[in-house]
Parts: sequence; C-alpha cells; structure tokens
Amino acid sequence: MLKKIKRISKMHRIFIAQDLKKLMEYKVDFLTGMFGFMVYQTINLLFLWIIFSGIPALHGWSYDEIIFIYGFSLLPKAIDHLFFDNLWSVGYWLVAKGDFDKYLTKPLNPFFTVLVEKFCVDAAGEFIVGIALIAVTIGKVSIQWSVMNVLLFILILPCATLIYTGIKTITASIAFWTKRSGHITHAFYLMNDFAKYPTSIYNDVIRNVITYIIPFAFTAFYPASYFLTGENPLFNLGGTVIAAAVLMTIGMLIWNKGVKSYESAGS
Amino acid sequence: MIYVENIRKEFKKTIKQPGLLGSVKSLFNPKTEKVVAVDDISFHVPKGEILGFIGPNGAGKSTVIKMLTGILTPSAGLCTINGKNPQKNRKSYVKEIGVVFGQRTQLWWDLPLCETYAVLKEIYEVEDSAYKRKMDLLNEVLDLQDFIKSPVRTLSLGQRMRADIAASLLHSPKVLFLDEPTIGLDVVVKDNIRRAIAKINEEEQTTVILTTHDLSDIELLSKRIVMIDKGKNVFDGTVDELKKNYGQMRELHFELAGDSSLESLAYKEKFGFSDDDINIKREGVKATVRFNSDIVPVGDMLSYTLSGVHISDISVKDADIEEIIRRLYKKEVSADA
Amino acid sequence: MRRFLRIYLPFSKAGMQEMMAYRFNFIFHLIGEMLSCFVMYFVWLAVFESSDSSTFMGFSMVDMTVYLFISFMASFLTYSDGAINIGEEIRDGSIVMRMIKPVNFDMYLLFHELGSRFVSIFIVLVPMSVGVELYKFFVTGSVMFSLPNFALFSVSIIIAYLVSFYFNVCYGFLAFFLKNLWGSSVLKDAIISFLSGAKIPLAFMPPALAAVLTVLPFASLSYTPVMLYMGIYDAPQIIWSLSLQLFWLVFFWGLSKLIWRLAMKRLCVQGG
Repeated sequence: MLKKIKRISKMHRIFIAQDLKKLMEYKVDFLTGMFGFMVYQTINLLFLWIIFSGIPALHGWSYDEIIFIYGFSLLPKAIDHLFFDNLWSVGYWLVAKGDFDKYLTKPLNPFFTVLVEKFCVDAAGEFIVGIALIAVTIGKVSIQWSVMNVLLFILILPCATLIYTGIKTITASIAFWTKRSGHITHAFYLMNDFAKYPTSIYNDVIRNVITYIIPFAFTAFYPASYFLTGENPLFNLGGTVIAAAVLMTIGMLIWNKGVKSYESAGS
Repeated sequence: MIYVENIRKEFKKTIKQPGLLGSVKSLFNPKTEKVVAVDDISFHVPKGEILGFIGPNGAGKSTVIKMLTGILTPSAGLCTINGKNPQKNRKSYVKEIGVVFGQRTQLWWDLPLCETYAVLKEIYEVEDSAYKRKMDLLNEVLDLQDFIKSPVRTLSLGQRMRADIAASLLHSPKVLFLDEPTIGLDVVVKDNIRRAIAKINEEEQTTVILTTHDLSDIELLSKRIVMIDKGKNVFDGTVDELKKNYGQMRELHFELAGDSSLESLAYKEKFGFSDDDINIKREGVKATVRFNSDIVPVGDMLSYTLSGVHISDISVKDADIEEIIRRLYKKEVSADA
Repeated sequence: MRRFLRIYLPFSKAGMQEMMAYRFNFIFHLIGEMLSCFVMYFVWLAVFESSDSSTFMGFSMVDMTVYLFISFMASFLTYSDGAINIGEEIRDGSIVMRMIKPVNFDMYLLFHELGSRFVSIFIVLVPMSVGVELYKFFVTGSVMFSLPNFALFSVSIIIAYLVSFYFNVCYGFLAFFLKNLWGSSVLKDAIISFLSGAKIPLAFMPPALAAVLTVLPFASLSYTPVMLYMGIYDAPQIIWSLSLQLFWLVFFWGLSKLIWRLAMKRLCVQGG
C-alpha cells in the first residue's frame, strides 16, 4: 500500500513539474489570465459593495461575513480545480474519442491515473483570491480561533473539496454510457454559485436541493457559518463530511460500473 | 500462451430518429439494433510466435485486439493469455502485455519522451537496473536518442511510432499487441520498426500479435496468419499456405506506345486463365493487368507482353492484401453455395 | 445578392445542423449559465427584503428581475467566438485553406455562426422572453408587453451581435502575436461583463463613470438592447444609442478589414 502511494506520488511529481514548466513557457498568458480572474472577482465584490451601500445586512449577515463566506467558497473549488481538473476531459473527449483505452492497458487504477495526469495551475487565481478575502475579513468577523477550530478548518477543506470531486466524478462517469457528458458536468458544476450566499435567501426548493441533493451548500455556506457563529457543528461540519463520503462513494460505484461498460470508439 | 475460444462481441447501436420529436422519443425510448462486430472467433498462439492478424477495414480486428487487451469485455466466449483472463485480473494481466495502437498514441502529449518513460517505469514498477538495460537495448534498436528530450507533440509520425513501441516494451511484456504499427510510415522507418520487432521477439521470446494492411510486414515478420472478415475467421495458417491456396496475384502496369492495341495480346487464350485469375483494365495509354502468377510465372508474362506490343514503360507489383482477402472471401462464398 | 446568398447560405445551414446535432449539450450549457441569474435573483430578493424602500437606485424588484434575465439573454445571444481561431490560423499557415476558396473569410465565419444563432433564437430568445413576460404578468397582474419596445430590442440585438462578431474578429487576430489566448480571453470576458453592464447595471455606477461606459462600445453589446426592451429610454436617447451601436459596428468592421490586410502582407513576407 505504502509502496503504491510512493509510486503514484512519484508519477504525480513528474506531471506537476511538467505543468509548472509549461507555466513558465506561457508566463505572460498565465499572468494575464490570473489578472483577468482577479478583475472578475473584483467585479463580484464591487457588486456586493453596491448592494450593501443600500442595506445594512443581508438576511442578518454583515458585509464582512458575506465576503468571508465568499472567500471560503473559493478554497475547496480551487483545490479541486488544482488536482482533479482532468475529470472534465473524461466527459468532454477521453471517452468519446476512445482515448480512455490507454488507462485500461496500464496496471494502475484508471481513476487515479486520470487524476494524477494533470495539475491545473490556473487554480492559483481562485486560491489567492479566496485566501485574500478570508485574510481581509478575518479580523472583522467574530471567529473563535481556538486550536480546535483551526484544526477543524484545515480538516473540513478536503471534505468540501471532495464534494466537488464527487459531483464531477458522478457526472463524468455518465460519459461511459452516453459517450459525452461534459455539458452535464458543466451544468451541475455551475450550481456551486449557490453556495456563496446564505441559504436563507433561497426558496425552499432550492435550499433543499443544494443541501440534500446536490449539496454544494456544504462546500461553503454551512461550514463557513459554523466558523462565523459557532452554531450547529454537527450539521454544518458533519454534513460536509457525510456529503463528501456519500458523493465519493456513489461516484466510485458509478465510475467502476461505467468502466466495465466502456465501449471503445473507432474500428 | 494465447487461447481464444469462440469469442463474440455485440454492440448495441442506437438508431437515430429524425427530427426534434424523434430525438425526444429516442431520449425516453431508444430504439437499438444489435451489431455483431466479432462472431465466434477462435485461435491459439504458442509462446514466441509472431502472429499476423489481418482482414479488411471494419473486419473486427481492432475489436478482437481490444478484447484481448482487456479494454472490451466479450459478449461470449473466453480468452486466456498467460493463464489469465484479461477482464478478470485486469491489473495483473496488463503488467505482462505491451500494447501499441498505431492510430493513437499512448504517450503523454506534453511530456518529453524521457519523462514519459520515467512515468511508465513507475507505473510498471520496473527495477532501476532492468530499466537501464532495457533503455539501452531500445535505444539501439529504435534509435531514440535523437528525440528522447523532445515533447511527444513535436515528434514526427515515424519517431512517435518508434517511441510508442519502445514504451510498450519497457516492462519486458510476455505478449506484445501491435495494431497497425507501420501505418502511414515511410520505407526506412517501416524497416527499422520491423527489425526492432524481430529482434525483441528473438531475444526475449516475446509473443507478438500484429495487425496490418501492409503484407510485407507479415511476410518479413510472421510465419503464421489469422485472417478475419466481417467478424468471422476466414483463414488460419502459414503465409506459404495462404499463397499456395489462394494464388498470388500480381499486377503488370504498362504504357502502350504508338497505336498498339491490347486486344492483340489475348492473354486468356494464350495461357488459359480463368475469369478469376486475370483482370485487364485500360485507361488511355495506361494498362493494368492483374493475373495469377501461380498459373503463369511473372517472367513469362513480361516477355510475352513485351514481344506482343510496343511499350514505353512497364512495372510489376504485388497485389495488395485487400485483393487477396477479397479473392479469399469470394472463394469462401462460392464454396458455401 | 442572390449569388451572395447562394454562396453563403450553405454555411449557415451547416452551422444550424451542427447546432441541432449538439442541441442537448447546448441546452445543458444554457441551464448551467442561467443558474447564476437565479442566484442573483435571490440575492436581489433578499436585498429588497432587507431594505426599507421598495426601489433600489430607481429599480423595483420587477425591473431588477427583468434586467437580470434580459441582460443575460442579450449577452448570450451576442456572444461570438466564431472567429477565435483566425489569428492562430494565420500563424500556423492553415489560413491558406480559406484563402484558396473564393469566399470572404469574415462572411464565411459570420454566416456559419449565424446558422447556430438562428437556432438559439428558438432555444433562448422565445422561451426566455415569454418567461420574463409571464413573470411580469403574475407579479404585477397586468400585461405590460410592448411590441414597439420588443421591435427596438430586436433591431438593437442584431446590431449588438454584429458589433460583437467584428470585435471578436479583431480580438482573434491577437493570437497572431500571442502564443496562447487562454489568459487574454479570461481578461477580455471579465472586462466585457463589467463594461457592458451585464453584471451590474451601468445606472448603478457613479454618474461620471456611467456616462463614459455608455459611450464605449461594450455598452452596445448588452446594455443598450436591454434598456430598449425595458422601455427606459425616450425617443432622442433611442436614436442616439442606436446610432452609437451602428458607429461601433462600422468601426470594428473597418478595423478588422485593416488588420486582415496587414496580416496578409505579413503572411506574404513570411512566405506562409
């Protein structure tokens, strides 16, 4: 087991080094993109700022708290983007063009091989903005930074990340039956937009969907609200852990079933 | 070594219904039809043999190869390779095989070739010393050193194919599957690749299954061929047997000079060819005569033609594999009838 | 004219067929993109609930909803990426495949994209404007659909699409100089979503800034058609904003022709 992890991490390092090299080659492009991303986020913040110029609080949440939740929402998104971006390729072309063949002729778990192959440095933009927003608001919101809470904060991030990864795995696996499913992943993935705001602003239907069915609310609002209020750790944090476990389990089941019914393309 | 018993593969194909209504219908109640890609194929390959696996486009060759390599699951039948079932013990099975699909690279597009091999070394758990020895050997037979530092996307087709073959051999597989390894390559590279395959086969007793459209690949490498068409096994035997049984077709190409006419040659009457054994085509001054060289030797045909008409240019070619297969298939049908 | 259409209409037909073949992908894509409108809708709903007044900077909740969805629709309909590869094609020389055919490169790309736009009229424009009108009816209890406004909107959105198309042709040429367009595309889309008022109504910005932004070409892309749909402008403003749109169309059309000519010269020098 340990040996296997060592092997995979050695492979992973080679791919990471490669993606970093590519980054150096396209420095200007990367920096422009990063800048563009920050402009985009600044516009969103400007939007929030304009809103709060007219009202004191949004459903009881202050401007700083909303920004904190917003910043928090970017972190799991960035981590998933950084490490697990290659799942998009499965739904968009790997299966449709029959390129998935190559994973089946290797003595490794195809799922790991797909994930390890790409290290998406573009995610840095989300990560930097997320960290910056949390850093800026951290002094203005009432968070008890006990050792326990710091530990919980660090532990909850991977779980929140796996909610993204699980949803991507499930929707990407559909491609094994339909050839292409990238657009389905796209539609589900964009639901993460709902996670950036307090769930109380939505109607019952949407609130239930983003809590129990496509639980993006657990990637940001629920865990962030625990840190902001200290309330309901069992639901706010426990829910995140359970959602991650359930989604990844379903994802792996569907993936494995999908790989079995994979019908390679071409003659 | 390789036992294939009555394997069969069926695909379900959705029938597209026209129009918006049709596509909504097919979303809820898709109409499918069954397509049989491989129909009851059996063969057996002993250790160390190079088997030529041939057939026309769409015959089901790739589907068979994909079932043997564990990518596809057969609808029926059984294949056992190295005593393993490719589908059941996939991970341990694929450790012992190497696969090259000529149409599609297995290498990582952006990675320099040497890095690709480093990743593969980890994937297949190749020991450092064995890896080094293997790289030296592959370098020698496939001339990799000129482009080993270049990213795969910058390689030419010939370089890429050599790189792909080397990648499939790194872990010293017991069985090597080559699906059209010489497609689109020039003569020099083809030759290089054939020699490499022959050498690896000789030194390591690697069993090779080779599909190709280039008959000379088969003639230079393998003694035995399995030929399939429309998913069915149509021939299993040695190359010599094939030639003996189905005749060797040759093509005579020439340009007529002056006012010579082809009719004056009357090959059929002269040599007594049957309709199946000769075919004459003419376009302007260019003429193509396809004939069975088992009935009349090439030399006799040449001298007879040269003496009969004025000719400005002449050449002799082997008929391609498609032609043999077509003839073979035709005989099958007439034998059945 | 008939000859012109005989040459270019088949391209539109091909574009339409591609779009039809990928209609499910397109619909899923549309749904995904539309989710952010719903998020915004609920954010605004919460803002109006949290606020004492029933208007926000002159917009009522109904206005805001109409603005959100119509401006999303406008940005979606005027989005153009048919010419995104043009610079790339010049650089790697594959542009010669276009030049050996007796067709205008921009007309070919335009008509090809128009085919897919035509399909999106049925998938996007009709359902969304019906949806918005139904919403207005249920919330206010009266029919407020105005045919003249819709007609003005239609004219404006066609010009907006053409501005967007020629703007993106000019942008596509950038790839001739840049190695990769990923980064600048992110930047471009971010800037456009801000400057065109698609994200925040220009009326919400400080007056001086808003005045500048309305004159810039980006307002022509989505803000102008939306304002016309909502019937906010009076007659002189309507004439002024439509002329401004036309001005930017001519500007980018001319610019794209100029760059094309320069690029061709360079191609000859390089020997392609």
